[in-house]
Amino acid sequence: MPRRDPFKGCDDFRLARRPVELTRRQVVLGGLSIYAATALGPSRLLQDARAQAAAAPDAPVLVSVFLPGGCDLLSTVTPLDQTGRLADLRRSITTEAPAPLATESRVGLHPSLSEGLDGGVRGLFEAGKVGFLPGIDYANPDLSHFHSRHFWETGLITERTAPGWLGRWLDRHGSADNPLQGLSLGGLSPLLRTGGAPVATIDDPAGAQLRFGGTWGPAADMTVAAWSRVAAETPGAGAGPAAAKRAAQLARDIGDRLAPYAPADDNAPDPLAPPVAYPENSDFATHLSRLAGLLAQPLGIRVAAIDAPSDFDTHDDQPKQLAAALSEVSQGLAAFQADLEARGIADRVLTFVWSEFGRRPQSNDSSGTDHGAGGIAWVQGTRARGGILTDYPDLRRLDREDNLAVTIDFRRVYCSLLEGWLGTDAAEVIPNASAFGRLAVVR
Amino acid sequence: MPWSEAHVRRLFWRAGFGATPAEAARWAQAGQDATIKYLLDGARGLAGPAPLLGGRPLDPLNEWSHRALWWLDRMVRTRRPLDEKLTLFWSDHFPSVADTPLVLAQNRMFRARALGSFRKLLGAVTRDPAMQVFLSLADSTKEAPNENYARELMELFTLGGGYTERDIREAARALTGFRSKWGDGGLQRIWFDPSLHDAGVKRIFGRRGRFGADGLLDLVVGHPRHAPFLVRKLWDFFVTEPPDRATLRSLTRAYRQSGLRVAAVVERILRHPALYARLDAPDMVKCPLVYVAGTLRLAGLGVTIEDYSWLLEQMGQFPFDPPSVAGWDWGPAWLTSQTMAARVRFGNAMLAWNDHPPLEVPDGAGDPGLSPDAQLDRALDALGRPWISDATRRVLVDLAAGYFTDLVKPWQQGKPRQQRADMLQRSLRHLILSGPDAHLH
Repeated sequence: MPRRDPFKGCDDFRLARRPVELTRRQVVLGGLSIYAATALGPSRLLQDARAQAAAAPDAPVLVSVFLPGGCDLLSTVTPLDQTGRLADLRRSITTEAPAPLATESRVGLHPSLSEGLDGGVRGLFEAGKVGFLPGIDYANPDLSHFHSRHFWETGLITERTAPGWLGRWLDRHGSADNPLQGLSLGGLSPLLRTGGAPVATIDDPAGAQLRFGGTWGPAADMTVAAWSRVAAETPGAGAGPAAAKRAAQLARDIGDRLAPYAPADDNAPDPLAPPVAYPENSDFATHLSRLAGLLAQPLGIRVAAIDAPSDFDTHDDQPKQLAAALSEVSQGLAAFQADLEARGIADRVLTFVWSEFGRRPQSNDSSGTDHGAGGIAWVQGTRARGGILTDYPDLRRLDREDNLAVTIDFRRVYCSLLEGWLGTDAAEVIPNASAFGRLAVVR
Repeated sequence: MPWSEAHVRRLFWRAGFGATPAEAARWAQAGQDATIKYLLDGARGLAGPAPLLGGRPLDPLNEWSHRALWWLDRMVRTRRPLDEKLTLFWSDHFPSVADTPLVLAQNRMFRARALGSFRKLLGAVTRDPAMQVFLSLADSTKEAPNENYARELMELFTLGGGYTERDIREAARALTGFRSKWGDGGLQRIWFDPSLHDAGVKRIFGRRGRFGADGLLDLVVGHPRHAPFLVRKLWDFFVTEPPDRATLRSLTRAYRQSGLRVAAVVERILRHPALYARLDAPDMVKCPLVYVAGTLRLAGLGVTIEDYSWLLEQMGQFPFDPPSVAGWDWGPAWLTSQTMAARVRFGNAMLAWNDHPPLEVPDGAGDPGLSPDAQLDRALDALGRPWISDATRRVLVDLAAGYFTDLVKPWQQGKPRQQRADMLQRSLRHLILSGPDAHLH
């Protein structure tokens, strides 16, 4: 793949060519219906993804988990050595005592982070599989959700539209053909917006299948072929038409690639059935479960993104809201980690959990906290560097806006993930990368 | 300006939910002035009978999926499509996630004020129970003001920039004093309690005063950034090309001179030539609600199946449930591989699922004797003549032409041929209503 300027959108988008001519397709498929055909056709289509995966079967995968709304540092990873000052600041919030840690005395974790398999995120921390990054943010933090989120998504402190930082990495190091290389579950993550490289957005493989009901046999095959031909021949000039054309092409391509992993019908076994129990009634956990199953297949997934439920904007009733949100996150992430380990792929998957900012040290009168600086993120995985990886902000030294001091720039972590985990030069993706220094986040 | 059916179709899609062939003919005849007057001042209310699901009327207060269907039905049956379209605009501009009775009341408020004074709308939004609860205005007190609403008021609702963190904190003080009372059925009422209001002097945008909620709202709408901010957002809702500077200036002036009336801006946008650019190649992506409501309207269908509710959710626009306080992401962002698969699924709901789907092509309804062009015409007629590009037309005519060619044996004539003709109509209709062209207007 030719190298491109990673900071510029690219207009040379193209998709893998698919043999859509009726004659060719009919030869390949004979008289089979599309339902039978999907089992046959895609295995051929899979070959390019498989070839990529085979070329680098142990290629590292980075998974982003976003905690929308601005996760509160002080209640999530609580500084046990600053409890007096903390109690003064958080007068309107009564929280359960943080859970102490077997391996670290300076901080305790929100009790909800003990929920899930093997002690949840706390269990993972004590097993050395989680490295916390308290105080993460950037200089002169912007307390708007949307500005701050945009900065984190793009890795650029600018309000200009730009591809996501992992999208730029795909533009540089990804494939021109395989949309599954950048996989969002539950909605396109702006992190994975690219300047040209194809990416995929799905809920699950079954939902990705294109079916035209009320037709069968050769008629169904001809309909699918016509869908592809319409998508290919539609001019797609301008942003809207181009998006419609691309989505039509990608929907077909991704449906084909994932067909082997979609249950044939409602009663058929799930080809991606997880080896561990995930929590029920959680879209977040379901998406993690689908992702773990797909990561174990030769699909060439390199970066993936999932959003946690958007309950972290705890202006009101923080004790209840945060407990529920962290519980869902802890249970989901613990199951995901156990799943990856059970499938024997944990050593090539690193998860990065982040939020767009932290919250004000002083609580408000609605038992909540307003937007603040100095937040919390963590790396998780068998190859993550465990422990408390950054300086915890000093509660006696707030900034001019009465916010926590920022102790690490998130772009330092991005550069470290790019170089230490994905193994590529950070300067290709993050402008002025050398200025941010590096932090060991993997081992 | 020349005025044709193509102009009417463009206007009705952008300012509403599409034009049926009869509407396109009628308003092309009536001329631009009459058409725009109809959109701005037409008779209110809904056309036709209320939908029945399983023989019963919609019950949005008690059935979760019905609140989405209730709003969708308004879009399909409205006699004031522009009001309905702007109700959607304001729901996205002032998103609030709250209990059903609150969001339904808010929705009615948006509809009633859709084209009126922005300042009055903003006052109503600030006191609106759904918003009060969603952005923590209720029970924000002088002891510890909650900044949630103050920040979004400036960033998302009125200015977009040109204020400081201090302005936000001071504005939060001005907004204190609202209280809420809750009971078994949820929120009971919101009222203003002067004893909890911070009546002290605030300094906002460099002005000092004992501002309260209304004083603050006067300040934000009087801020020089407000008029260009709102005018631009309205423009982008209707037109894909960015406005040139002169257009932006004149719209801003018209907005201010009218006393911040939304209708003054919208009418000028609806008359602007940029709205009618490239009539033969629509380039704005339909949001899921416009896509679904427009498909139903053109086909002459009502809200007769419950599936539209979860299909809208899968397409990324579950009514009354915007993803964040910034509303939905519009434009090309509506279309991903995932949401496109959901739009194809919508085609299945229209054509194939259940015993009698809304666009059912019953067995035996196809006609194997029609020419390929006539087959396509028949499918387009059934859908209310939606736009398709020349490229799509070519592919679909080819599809119709080749659809029967494998049926060569004597035993494949008769019933197999009839079945194939039925399937051809399903294929064509599905490809028209979910192919790439269907998502543009």
